[in-house]
Amino acid sequence: MNFSQLAARNIFRNSHRSLVTIAAMAFACAMMIVFSSLMEGVIAGSERNVVAMNTGDIQIHQPTYRDDPDIYKMIESSNQLGENIRQAGFFVAERLFAFGLMASDESSSGVQLRGIDLVSESTVTDIHQHVLHGNWLEQGDSHGVVIGKKLARLLDVSLGDELIFVGQTADGYMANDSFRVRGILKSIATDIDSASVFMSNDMLRELISLPEQGAHQIVIMRTDRKQDLDLATDIVSNVVKQDLEVMNWRQLMPVISRFLETAQVQTLIMLLFTYIAVASVVLNAMLMSVFERIHEFGIMKAMGVTPWQIIRLVYAETLIQTVIASIMGLILGLSVSWYFQQYGLDMSSLADGMTFAGIALDPVWYAELSVNSSFMPIGFLFVMAVIAVIYPAIKVALMRPIEAIHHQ
Amino acid sequence: MEQTIVELKHLSKIYQQGELELKAVNDVSLTISKGDFAALCGPSGSGKTSILNLIGGLDEPTSGEVWLDKTELASLSKSELAEVRKNRIGFVFQSYNLIPVMTAYENAAFVLELQGVDKQTQQQRVMQTLADVGLAGLERRRPDEMSGGQQQRVAIARAIVTNPAIVLADEPTANVDSHTAEALLDLMQKLNEQQGITFLFSTHDQHVIDRAKRIIQVHDGKIAGDDVRV
Repeated sequence: MNFSQLAARNIFRNSHRSLVTIAAMAFACAMMIVFSSLMEGVIAGSERNVVAMNTGDIQIHQPTYRDDPDIYKMIESSNQLGENIRQAGFFVAERLFAFGLMASDESSSGVQLRGIDLVSESTVTDIHQHVLHGNWLEQGDSHGVVIGKKLARLLDVSLGDELIFVGQTADGYMANDSFRVRGILKSIATDIDSASVFMSNDMLRELISLPEQGAHQIVIMRTDRKQDLDLATDIVSNVVKQDLEVMNWRQLMPVISRFLETAQVQTLIMLLFTYIAVASVVLNAMLMSVFERIHEFGIMKAMGVTPWQIIRLVYAETLIQTVIASIMGLILGLSVSWYFQQYGLDMSSLADGMTFAGIALDPVWYAELSVNSSFMPIGFLFVMAVIAVIYPAIKVALMRPIEAIHHQ
Repeated sequence: MEQTIVELKHLSKIYQQGELELKAVNDVSLTISKGDFAALCGPSGSGKTSILNLIGGLDEPTSGEVWLDKTELASLSKSELAEVRKNRIGFVFQSYNLIPVMTAYENAAFVLELQGVDKQTQQQRVMQTLADVGLAGLERRRPDEMSGGQQQRVAIARAIVTNPAIVLADEPTANVDSHTAEALLDLMQKLNEQQGITFLFSTHDQHVIDRAKRIIQVHDGKIAGDDVRV
């Protein structure tokens, strides 16, 4: 009988204790797989909300536009520049912005008008798929606008209601016009939710008398999502060759970027704390298992079992239990994660309207299963189990045989 | 000329119990020769088990030397001592001390497995040894399915299956009835006479003393007498 067989028999010698230990490890492993995959899903969803709903991968502005969004600070040859970037293998859309006062029958509020190219915008963002009520903007609808969820509440308007805009044109006159609410967006980001009014860029150009050429912002999206973002930014910068500011979303939103980067670390910390609790269960079980057999280990030593072989035996017992727990945990964790990947975990009662650094967090959390989220918890479990049995294994291995034989 | 298996030179073992020093073994010098069937006799606490433990490398002497064949045990590391026990010494304990999750066959084969003996040789030697100790047909029984006498036979089989230089038996008949004790002694005597296995007992059982060819009296940790029966 080799040590693995002996270890296996020792495990089932006290089947209740072994089952409780295995069940605790399996449950923790399953929970951490679910937690990791949910975190990955939330991180991916947050990144999607940042990039695909608004910011895009890369933006181009006049150098001082972001600090002082003046309607005169336009990228004049935006058409040609956009075409050049498109030829370099990117999706491109132009945007115009203006500010003013939007009024309904009931109320008024300061707003940011967002003029977008209806065709090209859908290649750089998914905002057209994020309509809560009504429809997205349509070509030929000369007075239709889509507004943020909070703005609709603020102005007390619903679909089809009329809005009056008052602002200033580029040539210094007063701009005013009336619009109809065609759609109300789901939560995206604080600024979009509470102050944004989307319309076609032709409408906005006409409303505030902007020149026929030029844009305040060029938004760029990688065609290959696996392409390195910094590399893509460098490529775009090389194409621009003008005194314009080219920044990717991580540079534009450093707080969110850092949050998403550290979310992985947060998952690891969570794993660590959970497994420290599991390790105490494993340690307790192994201490009981080892210390009640010290006399037996003494006999084995008398027969010629070396300290290293004692350590191997204790570790074999732990690893067999960990393997069984990992398989059980993996099956349970993957099943639950797969369910949450398909149907999501509705956290709306707790997290509806929750934002971080201005970015809305989706109240329905979808898990995202990956090799990382599935196997990192298992790796952690093995590491913690290995650490937990160091003490009992070393203690019994270093005992003098006579001391172990006489141990009560 | 008799071949010396064990030689003890001025061996002492002192246990510290609080502020008290207990001299369990006190300046003992002794040789055990190949083929001996010797008994360390004396009352409880006389130091006979301590001498056995020191010879077997289960405990470390306070002073003096234990030589097994031509090896001084104090010079060995823990792993080297384990090698010596595995290859040169067989132990039989008072309370059998079989591994409860193993069958009689597996208990007897365990040390051979540790020695890396191939399965076929293991099987031949274990089956033969179990037959020698009268356990043919009980190979698949676990300790809790056997009587005390049967368990002690398995322990003897485990001790002799590797052809050790010496078998150290600590009160081997203490936990069995007199009929079983006689049967076990018959067995060990037969193994000594037919296979030349060296036995050293620690005992105060008259059955064992009556059978021993050499009686070593131990009192207060010292050798009080050493008689060889012809």
